[in-house]
Amino acid sequence: MIVEIGHFALVLALATAIIVSVLPVVGAYRRDASMMAVGTTGSLVMFGLVALSFASLTWAYVVSDFSVKNVWENSHSLMPMIYKYSGVWGNHEGSMMLWLLILVFFSALVAVFGRNIPDTLKANVLAVQAWISLAFLLFILLTSNPFTRLDPAPAEGQDLNPILQDFGLAIHPPLLYLGYVGFSVCFSFAVAALMEGRIDAAWARWVRPWTLAAWTFLTAGIAMGSYWAYYELGWGGWWFWDPVENASFMPWLAGTALLHSALVMEKREALKIWTVLLAIMTFSLSLLGTFLVRSGVLTSVHAFATDPSRGIFILCILAIFIGGAFMLFAWRAPTLKAGGLFAPISREGSLVLNNLILTVSTATVLTGTLYPLVLETLTGEKISVGAPFFNMTFGLLMLPLLIAAPFGPLLAWKRADLVGAFQRVWVFAGLALLIGLVLWYMQNGGPVLALFGLALGCWGMLGAVADLWYRGNFGKLPVMTSLRRLKGLPRSAWGTAIAHFGLGVTVIGIVAASAFSTEHVVEMKQGQTAQSGGYSLTFDGFREAVGPNFTEERGHFTVSSGGVAVADVWSSKRLYTARRMPTTEAGILTFGLSQLYVSLGDPMDGGGIVVRIWWKPLILCIWGGCLIMMIGGFVSLSDRRLRVGAPSRKAKPVKAVMEPAE
Amino acid sequence: MILWILLALLTAIVAAALLYPLYRRAEALAPDNAGEVEVYRDQMKELDRDRAGGLISAEEAEYARAEIGRRLLAAAGKQTESAADAEKASGLRKMAIGIVTVAPPAIGLCLYIMLGSPGLPDQPLEARLANPGNDMSLLVAKAERHLAQNPNDGSGWDILAPIYFRTARLGDAELAYRNAIRLIGPSAARLSGLGETLVVANDGIVTEDARSAFEEAARLEPGDVRARFYVGVAQEQAGQAAQAKATFEDIAKASPPDAPWMGLINEHIAKNGGTAAASSAQPSALGSPSAEDVAAAEDMSDGDRQEMIRGMVDTLAARLEAEPKNIEGWLRLVRSYMVLGDREKAQAALNTGLGHFPADGNEGRQLAALAREIGLSATGAGKAEAPETAPQGAAPQGVTQ
Repeated sequence: MIVEIGHFALVLALATAIIVSVLPVVGAYRRDASMMAVGTTGSLVMFGLVALSFASLTWAYVVSDFSVKNVWENSHSLMPMIYKYSGVWGNHEGSMMLWLLILVFFSALVAVFGRNIPDTLKANVLAVQAWISLAFLLFILLTSNPFTRLDPAPAEGQDLNPILQDFGLAIHPPLLYLGYVGFSVCFSFAVAALMEGRIDAAWARWVRPWTLAAWTFLTAGIAMGSYWAYYELGWGGWWFWDPVENASFMPWLAGTALLHSALVMEKREALKIWTVLLAIMTFSLSLLGTFLVRSGVLTSVHAFATDPSRGIFILCILAIFIGGAFMLFAWRAPTLKAGGLFAPISREGSLVLNNLILTVSTATVLTGTLYPLVLETLTGEKISVGAPFFNMTFGLLMLPLLIAAPFGPLLAWKRADLVGAFQRVWVFAGLALLIGLVLWYMQNGGPVLALFGLALGCWGMLGAVADLWYRGNFGKLPVMTSLRRLKGLPRSAWGTAIAHFGLGVTVIGIVAASAFSTEHVVEMKQGQTAQSGGYSLTFDGFREAVGPNFTEERGHFTVSSGGVAVADVWSSKRLYTARRMPTTEAGILTFGLSQLYVSLGDPMDGGGIVVRIWWKPLILCIWGGCLIMMIGGFVSLSDRRLRVGAPSRKAKPVKAVMEPAE
Repeated sequence: MILWILLALLTAIVAAALLYPLYRRAEALAPDNAGEVEVYRDQMKELDRDRAGGLISAEEAEYARAEIGRRLLAAAGKQTESAADAEKASGLRKMAIGIVTVAPPAIGLCLYIMLGSPGLPDQPLEARLANPGNDMSLLVAKAERHLAQNPNDGSGWDILAPIYFRTARLGDAELAYRNAIRLIGPSAARLSGLGETLVVANDGIVTEDARSAFEEAARLEPGDVRARFYVGVAQEQAGQAAQAKATFEDIAKASPPDAPWMGLINEHIAKNGGTAAASSAQPSALGSPSAEDVAAAEDMSDGDRQEMIRGMVDTLAARLEAEPKNIEGWLRLVRSYMVLGDREKAQAALNTGLGHFPADGNEGRQLAALAREIGLSATGAGKAEAPETAPQGAAPQGVTQ
């Protein structure tokens, strides 16, 4: 009964979505407050219904109700409880449910927190959100219904894909979807603004918290996915330029551009049309990512099931929303007034450069991702565009961005003095070079380019420090005064500095992990020793172990440095009994920011086993930097500017607001 | 019934929530520019803070102040459009109320009746396990849980093993047989069960492992017809025709003449150059491995049997796709499809097979001959008399418990 109530709630959500799609738009057009208010209530109702539906599906997982086909296909009664919860979205149907849940969650947030937005804009935004919800509700109910029942019910489920039986599944998809789907709000704002034909600096401020929140979650989601792939898949890589990864990276790049261009729009009312276009593009890329992953066009661990009808359905959603939004844009954009002017060397100018580079690199990644698919469709020829292409093109594009990033916050709005900015930061640039050099010597003998890369990373970090330094006016004012000034800085300035610092940290991690990591593939027998990263690993042999739904052979290694045992590490090969599927569990040891990564290969004749050992210096910087960026996002999100008080319903007399303009 | 009441209640709550804003006394619209004005005022304040903190120069601040001031003026000066005409609005609102009242129950009910299964209760596994009734799969699941806790319960494995075998879970069956033998010792039944599992898992080949299991079983219990039969098959497959013949003849001698497995035994005697004892045996249509398969399939329900045979045929088809130069395989595949009553697939397999061998070669002629024999066309679909039915009577009844 609980399952059926969940199913019915989903159907009711569809009915509600239809109502919310129509009434608020009509209300906004006719200026009818009651009908617009249906958008607010309706969005909350929709969230309640979808949450009820999601909860009942989760319940079916938790109690192993195998009369639900989706549960039978993706769960097992002996699976640990946490995977029964996270397993809800570890499959196609469930992940679409999560997508929908987060979508209506954001609608509800707009409904609740959007009090400062003009009624008509809010009504239109909620209606556009409801259109998207409607499309995905139809998709779920008609092609991917998680509530399909089985009668008679099987006695045991088919288990969750063992690779997904990991804590990462509990975190990565929700974070990623919070990011992906969060951009839907920006999209809805853009479409609503185009519908009203009116857009100004205030719009940018209303959209900013949503962009910021989505960007922050997407950053975390991508970083988490990367770290998960790193420790779970056992090949020691942390980024593969795999199409699925690119699918999540493209909205991030576009979203980063959006974040920066919205800044210009908010401050100077310039780049209005461009910002609206970016908002549409970012969510379009999210939809494209969903299509690529969910349609079965790509085969990967993310493609749970391939079914052509689903692909066609998502393609239709894609065509309607992206095509519709761009048509609306083409029709309405010319009527928008262009905004303020600025000199090339200015904060605006640097943000335009940022946007230029980010959009070009998005296009590069898009080309690299789609080209093989298009080529295969047209000619049947299979090619793969791999890391070399992306490293050459994308890496090269990032270079000027990374050099320029620290300058941006130092430049003044409208027109600025680049020489002055140079003069201010040359000490930091020199320092960055020096630290890069020191790091290089410490690692001893990497490629020369790596030196440059490390310096670039340090430049990013120190540039952020320089920004704070000059805002605090350290060196000219007494230290206590400067500290007070720092404390008084707007949170958004802190957020910028922290996020830019994090970017620098990530760059250092990427450069160090790519240039200095070492890989050893050795055949080891019990008692043998291998060297890596200045540590020696002794293989002590295997031990059998039994998990809740798997059996494993655990290889034990003692790690010693200079003859003294410093740590031990387990690396194992598991066999998940229900699916008879083997997995490799890498053993990872952390030394400071560096890691030793041990992965077991195939057993050899004569009792030996192939062991892969990586030494990955400073690799934690990659994800640590993302974490710092995320913190920067949250700090910026807490800025009081973003919590502009709601205008009271009884509007104040107009002349009162004119006083500050004297 | 309770379900329907709850669903009705849910619908009512949703409709009521959606109707609430429409019935509430219409609230005055906040002026459109109020939000905007608020934003620009806030920007002004921020500018003052920045100026006071010395973050921007006086000149910059003046520029920015002028700019924000212009925006503020523009926003404040915007004419707020008047609210909708009250009369028109009430007409529109009536329509909206109609939609909101009708849509949730109508759409909800229609779609749910199309998609849902209102008659099915929830079936949490624990509750089902507590009261399994006659559901074999639940009993198996229960036993599995018991064994997961007590992996050294040999008799548990012993009970599960043949059930696994019958439901074609061959890997599990092998493991269960081996566990049972390890824990409570070998017996003829367990050893032959293990052997048979291995034979089926290897597409009818009696492997070295399987053969030693059967030999051991036959030693423990010389009357075990199944074990002796497979020993014979093993000898036959190893090319030891004389020994095989002797083994089969021994079985025939020891069996009553009307034993159900006599047909199969006689067939094998004949195949190894002997003279069959008088019996009304039907030849097996599945070719050489069918004997074992049919023996294995004997205890299954018709559905399971079909499924198992289908599984084996699919394996063969997949293997042939990888290594198409196997004329024996193609002949067997075509025959098998005919036995399963799937003319189209048989024809397709025949065509594919013909594609791999020249028509005038030896293999091509063999395929053509087969096509004539079973009434398929060597160039396209042809008419034919009904295919032979699966030889149910030919299997050794009762040898597989």
